[in-house]
Order: sequence, then C-alpha cells, then structure tokens
Amino acid sequence: MMTLTINGRKVELEAPVTILEAAKRNGIDIPTLCHHPALELWGGCRMCLVEVEKMPRLQTACTVRVADGMAVRTETPRVVAARKAILEFLLINHPLECPTCDKAGICALQDLTVRYGAVAGRFEEGKRVFPEVVDDPVIVRNMKRCIMCTRCVRMCDGVQGASAIGVIEKGARSHIEPFSGGRYNCEYCGNCLAVCPVGAIMSKLHRYTYRPWQMEKTVKTICSFCGVGCTLRLEVRDESIKRVSAEFGDGVNNGLLCGRGRFGYEYVDSPERLKTPMIRRDGRLERATWDEALDYAAGRLLEIKKENGGGAIGGIAGGRATNEEIYLFQKLLRAGFGSNNIDSIARLGLLPAQKILEDIFGQGAVANLISGIPRSEAVLVVASDPTRTNPVMGLEVRAAARAGRKVIAIGHIDGLRRHRTRRLEAKTGPGQETMIMAGLLSELLKIKPLSGENPEFEEAIKAWGKTLPGPDEVEKATGVSALLISGTAADLKDVSTSSIIAGRELASSMDIRTNMMMLAALGYILNSRIFLISEHPNEQGLIEMGCSPEMLPGERPVDVRTFREKCEQAWGAGINPEAGLTLMEMIEQAGASIKALYVMGEDPAFGLPSRGRVKEALGRLDFLIVQDIFMTGTAAMADVVFPALAWSEKDGTYTNLEKRIQRLKKAVIKEGIEDWRILAEIGKRAGLPSRYRGVADIFREIAQVSPIHAGLGFESIEEGGVLWPYKGKPLSVSSSPSSAAGRFPGSGKAVSISPPPDRNVLKLVLDKPLLHSGTLSTHSDALMDLTGGPEARLCPETGGKLGIADGDAVKVSTGEGQISLRARLESGLPEDALFISNDFREAGAFELFGYQLEPESKTPVLTVQNLKVERL
Amino acid sequence: MSPAPSAEKPLAGLEEIKKNYPASSAALMPALYEARRQFGWLSPEALSAVADALNLPKAAVRSTASFYGMFNQGKTGRHLVRICTNVACMVLGAGSVLEKLEARYGLTPGGTSRDGRFSLAVTECIGACDKGPAMLVDDDMHTDLTGERITEVLERYE
Repeated sequence: MMTLTINGRKVELEAPVTILEAAKRNGIDIPTLCHHPALELWGGCRMCLVEVEKMPRLQTACTVRVADGMAVRTETPRVVAARKAILEFLLINHPLECPTCDKAGICALQDLTVRYGAVAGRFEEGKRVFPEVVDDPVIVRNMKRCIMCTRCVRMCDGVQGASAIGVIEKGARSHIEPFSGGRYNCEYCGNCLAVCPVGAIMSKLHRYTYRPWQMEKTVKTICSFCGVGCTLRLEVRDESIKRVSAEFGDGVNNGLLCGRGRFGYEYVDSPERLKTPMIRRDGRLERATWDEALDYAAGRLLEIKKENGGGAIGGIAGGRATNEEIYLFQKLLRAGFGSNNIDSIARLGLLPAQKILEDIFGQGAVANLISGIPRSEAVLVVASDPTRTNPVMGLEVRAAARAGRKVIAIGHIDGLRRHRTRRLEAKTGPGQETMIMAGLLSELLKIKPLSGENPEFEEAIKAWGKTLPGPDEVEKATGVSALLISGTAADLKDVSTSSIIAGRELASSMDIRTNMMMLAALGYILNSRIFLISEHPNEQGLIEMGCSPEMLPGERPVDVRTFREKCEQAWGAGINPEAGLTLMEMIEQAGASIKALYVMGEDPAFGLPSRGRVKEALGRLDFLIVQDIFMTGTAAMADVVFPALAWSEKDGTYTNLEKRIQRLKKAVIKEGIEDWRILAEIGKRAGLPSRYRGVADIFREIAQVSPIHAGLGFESIEEGGVLWPYKGKPLSVSSSPSSAAGRFPGSGKAVSISPPPDRNVLKLVLDKPLLHSGTLSTHSDALMDLTGGPEARLCPETGGKLGIADGDAVKVSTGEGQISLRARLESGLPEDALFISNDFREAGAFELFGYQLEPESKTPVLTVQNLKVERL
Repeated sequence: MSPAPSAEKPLAGLEEIKKNYPASSAALMPALYEARRQFGWLSPEALSAVADALNLPKAAVRSTASFYGMFNQGKTGRHLVRICTNVACMVLGAGSVLEKLEARYGLTPGGTSRDGRFSLAVTECIGACDKGPAMLVDDDMHTDLTGERITEVLERYE
C-alpha cells in the first residue's frame, strides 16, 4: 500500500503504477502524445511532464512510477510553460492545415494547442516539407504533419509484428516510411493509422467526405470477416459507414484490427447489392414482390415435400448468418419441411475436427480464450497460418514469440517466418504436418513425464504412441532433421501450460482422425488449450445452432429421442429421427434424391471444390432458393432469390472460435427485410407459427430449445459477450476419466498416415490470402486495390524450371478445369508447391480441385489430377 | 564497383560477420559497412540483401542506414571523397581545399566528377582535428591537406 498526493489530493495505491496511470485512475487528466496504452513506454514527446516535489527537474508522468509519499502536481505554471514550449516547438514544423485535414476535431495536437494556447511561435525557420504520399491504395502518409511520436512504428514493430515502417533519417529530416519509400506492401492492418495522434497517417477510404463531428452515430458491433469476432466501431453518416475503428480495450481484439476488418466494409454500399426479391420466369430472373416470392418459394417447397417427402429438400447455410438466422433456418427445414438435410461450410473442417476432439475431451474442448495464448509457456502452430486466416489471433502468437515463449511452427507458417519460432518445416510443400507431429509426439512420449491425471487415457496414448514413426523416420520422409525434432521435444519437456492452434488444413484430410488424435495426445501431454482456426465469423454458431444433418440445436444428436422431443414440443412439429445428408452429399444427390435446395448466405457454385461438377449438380435441381446480398454464381442459377441484409444492417448474435456469444448491432438501416423475417414468413406458410417480434424473441426460443444455451437472455449479452460454458448443460460424454480413453479410438491399431507425396511433382495448394476471404471482400474496392487480382504463387526456382517469370500470365489446368491468372514468384516458398486461393470469381482454386469424401466425417478432401502450368 | 548486389555478384561475407555477434541485430552496423565497402553505396537491393541475410525487417535496416551519414544511399563515383568542414578543419583551410576540388575536378559537395571517378561529400568531424584539414577517400584517412597535396593524393585513386 502506498500513499501519495496528486494536485493535493490523497491517492492510495496497492501496487506501483506510473504517475500517468495513478492520475487517470483518480480522474486527473495528464496530456500525452507519444503514450498509448497498447504500446511500449517511450517517454519521447515530453507532453506529460509533471512536477514532483523534491525532484529538481520535471518528470515524464508516463514512465515514472509512483513512490510512497510522492507529491505530484500536474498543472503548475512551470508545467504549463513546459508543455506550451513543447507545443511551440512542434508547431514550428506542423503545417496547420487543419481546415483540410480529416483529423481535425479528433487531433491530439489540435486539442492541446487549444488547451495550452501555444498560439504564437517565436521561430523563423521555414517548415519542413514532405510531399503527401498517396500512391498507396488505403493509407495516406502526410509526413509534414508528423510529430515523431513513433506510435505507429512501435505499433508495427511491437504489436503487429509486421515491422514494415521505420524512422528514416534524423533530426528535422526524420520521417516515417516503409522500406519502399512509397507503398507499404505490408499486412495492411491499419493499426498504425489507428494510433497516429495527428493526421500524418490516415485511411484513404472516404477521405474528405466527412468531419469527425459530423458522424451521426457510432455503433459497436462485431466484425464479419473471421471467427475471432473482433469488436469494431462503425461510424455512420448519411446511412453509410464512413469509418471502421476500434478503441484500445475493445473486445477480444483489444482495439486491434486486421486489414479485412478495417478496410473491407465498402461492400455494404456496393451498387451490386441485391435490392428486391426475384423469381425465375421463362428462364429469366425477374423482379417480384415480397409476397409473390415468399408464396412461390414456400409453395414449391411444400409441393416437392408432398411429392417426394421432406428428404428431397436440403439447406445450406453460410458462416456469416447470425445465430438467430441459422437457428430459424434449421428449424424451417426440420419442422417446416421434415428434412434433416442441413449443412454448412463448417463441414469443410471445423465441425468434424471439433467433434472428434469433443468426443475425446468433452464438449467445450476447444473453447479457450485467445488472450491466454501469449501467457502459455509454449505455443504450437500446426499446418494453418493463424496470422492469415484469423489475423488478430495470429497477433497473440507473435506476442508469445516476442515474450520469449516457445513458439513452434509445424509446417509452412509464413506469418511467423520472421518471428522467434522454432520451425519444423518439411523440405517440400505443405501436407506433411501429420508426419512431423508424429515424430514430435513419439519423442515427447519418451522423455516427458505424464501428469497422471487420467491414467487410462495415458495408457491409450502410450500404446498408440508406440506405433508412431520416430524422428529418424520422419527425417527420411519430410526432410525435417531428427535432431531438430528431438531438440524441440526436449525444449517442451518442462512445459506445464501450452496452446495448440490448428485449422482446416489438418481437418480437410484423409488423415483427419489421426491428426485430431495427434492434437489430442499432444494437447494432453503438454497441458494445452486447443484452438481451431475458424474462417467465418459465425462458423461456431453453425455448429451450435443445429445447422448440421446429425445435430439439433445445442449440438444434441438428432437420433436421440429425448432431444428430439424437446424440439418437437417447442416447434409443434415432428422431426425426422434419421440424420440427413452432409454438404457434399446433398450436392451429389442433386437431381436424384435431392430435388430442392435452400441456400442462405453461401455460394456453393463458387465456394466448394470441383466447381464445374457442383454447378452441374445445382443445374439438375428442380428448385433452388438463394438468399444472399449479391448476385452470386449460385444465385444466378436460382429459381427464387431473396435479397439479404449485410452484417452492419442487422441485430443478432455471433459465436466466435472461443465459443463467445457476442451481439451484432445494427448500424445502417437500408431497404430490405431482415433475414430472419424471410425465414419466419416461409415458415408461416409451411405451417410453423411465428410469434417473433424481433431477434430477442428468437434468442429466447433458442435458450428454451438448446440445452447449452438454457438460461441465457438476449439482453444479458453485454459487451464482451457470454463465454463458454454458457449457463446451460454441456453434452456429457466424457466426465469419467475412462471415457476419454474409450473415446480415443484406434488406439489399439497402428497409426495410419498417408504416404508422403512425391517431391518431384508440383502440387496445388489452397492459398489463404490475408486480405481476402471470398465473395464479400471482392466487393470491397479497397481490398481489391490492395491485391489486384488472382495470383498463382510459386518460388523462383520452380518458376525458372517452368519458364515462368514474375507477373507472367499463366494457364493452370487439372482434370477438373482450367483458369488463367498472374504468376507471382516469391522466394521462401516450397519448391514443389503452387499456391492458388479461391477468393476470386474469375480464377479460383476450386475450379481446379476435385475432392474425395473422408468416409467418416464426410468432409471433402481436396484432390488434384494432372496439374499443368503453362505460360500464356 | 557494381551498382547493387545481383545474382552474378551477390553481397558476400555476411555469414562471417554474423558469427562475431550474439544477435543478428548487433551485426547490422558491420554488415552495412561491408555492403558499402563492396558496392560503394547502399542501394535498396543492398539493404534488402542485408535484411535477408540477418533476418531483420527491411524497414529497420533502412531506418538504421538512413540515420548515419556515412551509409550513403545515393549512387557515387568510383571513389567517395569526404572532406571535413567542422571548426578545426575549416580554420586550417578546408575551404581552399574545396575550392581546389571544384577547380581541378569540377567537384561540388554532393556531386560527382564528370568521368565518374570521384564523388564529394562534406562531412562532420572525422577525428583528425590536430592534423586538419582532413578527408576520407573511401576508408583511407588523409590529413594536412593543402591545395597541392590533395590533387597529389587523389591522383593515386583511379
């Protein structure tokens, strides 16, 4: 306990903090420029100078810690004179172009100049001149406005870990620049512009179109790009989002954002948005009234049900829909049309992976806090790159590396390349992580004592572990040195807490079960929290709300009568006791057992492998309903199209990869009908009574039907959301120690790992770019400007062999199809891999990939036949 | 001298330098010296090569290089002449040495002679105040300069 006085007021503190922090806690404002709560202390701007009794010189409040008996004065004439002098110095060079600067109104320098009245300068020097740099697609640099607080550099280095900018030159000539001097060519998180206190680094989006004080409202909501669920603030004027920001302290992201979240919002205002419902008449989609479209959709579905039974109808939901929408969607199909054929893109990885892990450890096995990652002693990142798919979670991994934690990258994790990590990287392309994990696991089982917490499970792991390939064998297969593997295992020997991060790459594999068992075994041995990367903002919601053929809301198996009865009572309709078809099965059955599909917020004609065959299959349907915000490839084939609302236009909840339920809040009201109303209206026509007045009512029903959500109220989901375990009951599968062993199936059998691929054959790899994630991002001008278009990435050596130079147009073909795109040569890529993403309509990887269903999980595993690359 | 590192003439010797330091960031200054020695100036390609070799962010390498005047990032002639113009050298006659350079080689501070042989830069103190005026030609120190002596010295550099 320590006591001090600030401005004569007695202040008591438990632990020593900085003077700035002590003052802030007691409501005393000390001005700062270079200080930022998210950044390392610097003490460079001298704005926070205060007088401390018995200390001869003024002290920087942001770096000096309080001591018992200290007497601080924050606004004495001496302090005020010092601050005024500093402002006078800053203003020697500052251009005072406030009338044309977008920062005016929220500018720290402007506010302080007003506060301390440093209006008259006594210096005659000319101002420094730097041309404005506008050649970057999203960020404008205006270095004459810069006050050299270096917040942006400390953010880029110390938090984002991109280290893309630095202070160039010295003295009065110093300025902030990326290496190129022009374009940033960085990760484009924009966290630099978020911490700039003046107008030196600013967003180019909506520049000069608003003044900060003209914003009509600021709405705190959840980002719609990935499963991290960052909290963002949408600043709205004239019914349009002008700016997306986040404040330090906001949400799981703690005020940080990635490029998609910060710059990817423009699609909401795209002129290509669908506005009215459409019905196919004489082969053409034509505008229709809501009633016409709703009557037609419901009528046709009822007819098909009558003729072929409910099993002829299927539904596919997207990962951007809210929990409430997803819940109503599966209810409509189950109770309204008697079909369990409901699935989503969660089938591509998250759902089967999570199910296997939950079968072993119990429900909630992967519900862990992202903020715990940098606190773990070790972090294992396997096969998937969180810095690309879940960027803000990736920052936590980088934070762990910076803090000296043992970060181990198994596979080609580009985003951690320059960070302090141990890299277990196969000589050739990705896909050999199973093998590398096996080597690490077998070595760990040899040297690391087990906790003894669950003896039977330990026996099961050990027995299984005996059949695993050892480091030498792994070296032979993958090229990862046996020494590195055993060294890594030795490094992990004394670790008592850790995190493991894995994603779709391990799940979308014929080895999915082996992979998940490896994760489970590693997780047990290392006492890990396991994180599954989630590509869509509400992918977890798809699983929890029953948007899968085998599970009812609350992840209850549909074939268990008691669970079914609960839903039947609430819905007033019977439910088919048999599990329905999975995602790819529905597509394969299109035209055969499946006659009609209802697709909500998803674009199977674009987002599923073997695109050509998927399109053909969709064409065989008798009836196709698509609910989307754009005229997607699937929508163009539909019989009825309903225009959906964008994420910023609706209320509801999202569940992130931590199993945190968060509120989505409406920011902009546009024409159109909320998605849940469309579902409820069709439901009404199918005999499902609807009493919902709003999403809160739907959530109330969810809490009634889903055992895990029992007791949750919509309004009670405040900032920060509701965390797992929710108030309700998890599905109990493995509460007794022995069941974890029992549910470690195959433990008696030898480990099966697919043989390593031929190193001399070029392999196609699904790329996951940082700034794109499918349809929506390609409707955002800013993100399109940053990327330019589809690319095939390969290393210069391979390019040389194929006679391909950087920037060449190439044709890539497989047995499935062919695309033309630009080649990009990048050093550091594996020699046998060609990376193509599936984010661009004109040339997506799913045109080239075929698939094969993994027999147990029915997840489509990508396959490639006859890959050819030619220069055009 | 080659203008910048290339496939034919890559930046060499950094592995040796790295061995002398506990962390790659500590090897940055010596690495930059080496790059400048090999190529005469620090081109963006040279800075990239240093960053890659030391696994440091390119922006950080450029930031360090741009702080120090001697890490010249502009292309120079075959030899870089740095004349000290600080107080001691100035009093001892640096001004007349500069005049001589302009008269004899057409060199002005920041410029390069027409034949590409010399570039001239004025520099802050190079620690030879007792023997001024002083200059550096590349890494060689020459002191007690006069109008005559400087041409004599420079004629040794091709």
